[in-house]
Amino acid sequence: METWRLITTWGASPAFNMGLDEALLGNSQAPTTLRLYSWSPDTLSLGYFQRFADVRGTEVAGSVVRRITGGGAIHHTGELTFSIVADAGHRLYAGPISASYRRVHHVVAAALAEHGVQAELRGARALTSDREDTGMCFHHSTELDLVWDGRKGVGSAQRRKSGRVLHHGSIKLHSSELEGDIAVADPSGSQLSEQQLGGTLRTTLGRILGVRLESDAPTAEERARAHELGSRYLDPAFVRRR
Amino acid sequence: MRPDDRKYAPTHEWVKIDGDTMVIGITDFAVQELSNGNDSDLVYCDLPEVGRILDKGETFGEIESVKAVSDLNTPVAGEIIEINSSIEEHLEILSTDPWNNGWMIRIKPTSKSLDGLMSAEDYEKHLAAAH
Repeated sequence: METWRLITTWGASPAFNMGLDEALLGNSQAPTTLRLYSWSPDTLSLGYFQRFADVRGTEVAGSVVRRITGGGAIHHTGELTFSIVADAGHRLYAGPISASYRRVHHVVAAALAEHGVQAELRGARALTSDREDTGMCFHHSTELDLVWDGRKGVGSAQRRKSGRVLHHGSIKLHSSELEGDIAVADPSGSQLSEQQLGGTLRTTLGRILGVRLESDAPTAEERARAHELGSRYLDPAFVRRR
Repeated sequence: MRPDDRKYAPTHEWVKIDGDTMVIGITDFAVQELSNGNDSDLVYCDLPEVGRILDKGETFGEIESVKAVSDLNTPVAGEIIEINSSIEEHLEILSTDPWNNGWMIRIKPTSKSLDGLMSAEDYEKHLAAAH
């Protein structure tokens, strides 16, 4: 059975969160890794190519970073954030990008179903969560996005570099003031934690993909590289580069 | 059959000798993988400044399709002497004509050698074996 590494970092700093994902992406010797994490303080992350001026609410979040993955901005609060880093030839990522999204989203939808959320690919349907002018990921949808209640509930983006793939995912438990009228996994705000949903994602992924996930920590080299790379994500020259 | 007047990298870039220079772009297969067949799925492309010196395999630009940012890598070393800036505003060119109007950069190569790169026939075999 294939073995993956599981790294959980709850409440980590935005610089470390982004730096570690980039460090894992750049470590071609690393095993396939699932990260489960959350943010402290709450953080607004811009997509790699987004214009800073096109995103509303940058003053609201506790911190602002620019991701190396594409797509729209995400307010990382009240959500489970995950990343999966693997070689581009891995069975999860091989072939067209759209196929890799379908595989990842199949796992995420199955995990949400364990908590009574019936998430589906958007397909051709129109969503009430789509907005024209906020710059937020959850207010812009594509046919491959996971939706329920007629709204988008999972944000996803990838970076492909040197034969490796980083897939970012954000599963909303609660909405934020920057992400109104989106689908959330725990509308009551009291039934589901990031850690609980993360645990479900872990077991569901293992079951569907037939992999064993072994809890581990980043290596000393990865941790050092994460801190080295992390500072760039808060640098105004990078955050406001477009 | 893809054009046999150029060489191909396993990472889906092509390079074509043009006098003392070389022209580099990405293959139709790369475009298909990025865009899933929809022109509008290609969102942004950043190309480098003229004058930059590139090592073989170095990243010279980045392209964003819906949902993914991917690096663009050069199959050969040299100095960039021209970029095709029109594709930054008209990414659909990459879908309609990746072999000619969709070229990305022109370089003055460090070496004329294209050793290690594939012919069109070998690239077809590479695709067939990998996918």
